[in-house]
Amino acid sequence: MTFLMLTGRTVNQGVTVENKTSAEYAAETSTCFMHEFDMMELGLDDRDTVRVTGACGEVVMRAAASPEVEMGTVFVPYGPYANHIVAAGTRSTGMPDFKSHKVEIEPTDEEPKLVHELMEDLGGLAYDR
Amino acid sequence: MIVKDAVCPFCGCLCDDIEVEVEEGRVVAVTNACELGTTKFMGEKRMKNPILRDGDRWKDITYDEAVRYAADVLLEAERPLLYGWSGTHGEAQCVGVHMAELIRGVIDNTSSVCHGPSILAIQEVGHPGCTLGVVKNRADLVIYWGSNPIDAHPRHLSRYTRYAEGFFLENAFRDRKVIVIDVRKTETANIADEFVQIRPGGDYAVLSALRAIVQGKADTIPRTVAGVTREQLVRVANLCMNAKFGAVYFGLGLTMTQGKYKNIRNAIELVSELSRHTKFTISAMRGHYNVYGSNEVNTWMTGYPFGIDFSRGIAFYNPGETTAVDILARKECDAALIVGSDPAAHFPRKCLEHLADIPVVQLDPYPNATTAFCNVQIPVAVTGIDAEGTAYRMDGVPIRTRKVLSTDYLSDEEVLARMYARMQEVLEQ
Repeated sequence: MTFLMLTGRTVNQGVTVENKTSAEYAAETSTCFMHEFDMMELGLDDRDTVRVTGACGEVVMRAAASPEVEMGTVFVPYGPYANHIVAAGTRSTGMPDFKSHKVEIEPTDEEPKLVHELMEDLGGLAYDR
Repeated sequence: MIVKDAVCPFCGCLCDDIEVEVEEGRVVAVTNACELGTTKFMGEKRMKNPILRDGDRWKDITYDEAVRYAADVLLEAERPLLYGWSGTHGEAQCVGVHMAELIRGVIDNTSSVCHGPSILAIQEVGHPGCTLGVVKNRADLVIYWGSNPIDAHPRHLSRYTRYAEGFFLENAFRDRKVIVIDVRKTETANIADEFVQIRPGGDYAVLSALRAIVQGKADTIPRTVAGVTREQLVRVANLCMNAKFGAVYFGLGLTMTQGKYKNIRNAIELVSELSRHTKFTISAMRGHYNVYGSNEVNTWMTGYPFGIDFSRGIAFYNPGETTAVDILARKECDAALIVGSDPAAHFPRKCLEHLADIPVVQLDPYPNATTAFCNVQIPVAVTGIDAEGTAYRMDGVPIRTRKVLSTDYLSDEEVLARMYARMQEVLEQ
């Protein structure tokens, strides 16, 4: 199904943002908040994993029902998971389309990667001391 | 030991009433701060010493080695990018600008992916703003548009708006109305007197409709605008016009969506329109505690607030061209210095793919997502915790942050000054 993906701040994202190697930060920023009817449509239970595909890639997240999200849209806290599929075009403003991205969402059996793994996929080297 | 009136270095509210209890060189308790600030003060797991990437492993190095490496890498680059700057103090930002000029680099701060579009709008139509104290004491109507302070600026509501006392308001909680306008029914929407829910991407249309109503052209408005009924738009416009003093606070819900800076321009023009009827102001909910300072420092040193390119020997500014996301996505820069931010967590993947290909030096107290792309990371003191310096609050008021404990870490300013000295030395030879 096609959705509009918005990204933004949550308290949990802010609380864990200075500790990006933590499991809590990974859990928060890999959560895809959805309307419960949309989840029903896709046959998803809370915390089931979903593959989210954007214009320039795909990433696995966990779905969570949220009363804040309208049908047809999903909300993902700012972080490396959402940005894994956000396109870099800025329409000559310097600012990517962080709050208006069309994505495809489908259920999957895969688990979300760790932040480290995402960074290593793009050519980085994890530091975890 | 208890440090009173410490300044919280998390968000643009820069709350200056924090009490921090320190025992044996560690913060053990924090009073008055929100959850975000408390966690930052209590932060642990700092990086212990500078690290260098050596093939597939990390090697500990000394500060002298790290500074020398960083200075040399940036000097050798043809088009270095100096990015971040919102999570550090003004004194360090000054050194950054001098450094960018010396090595003919591009210096950009996090506002290019935050309130940069707001600044573009302000450059077009001005900024009818005021300090937070004026809003606290006078505003009987507050509008949060595309911003969710309960999650992003938790004490904004209690210090300045919904739950704050006001000198010129008899009963501030009763007399002050709060309107929330958003595409999501956020926590903040739940405590508003009026919630206006817009269809995603519809902000510009709703702003235009409100302007038309304020101009007395309500009859031209269709039955709904971006999902908002005409009745509600008229009610909101009337609430605004009947207020004695209104304040709009807008967030990234306007800057990151379709229309970007044009949304902000429209919002500012709505405020100008309302100011023909009553007093109205508008301000941005700035995110990082000193992102505003970075715009200030850049502006008084170069004339431009962000995205400044010194490759011509003079300051050149063209957002969309000289901004970090664009420079990285075009694979243009050949080295990067990151200070007080974490682009690997907040930039689109294409930018990270280029960061992986070039030498990167980062100044940050903690290992973060960008660490993975670093050749060298230099741990530094945290401004407001073990370093002091000037920061600008979201309303442009400079506040001196305090040091609540002492550590052996150098501040951003000290490390940058050493790098700058080394660069001058090399260039003189």
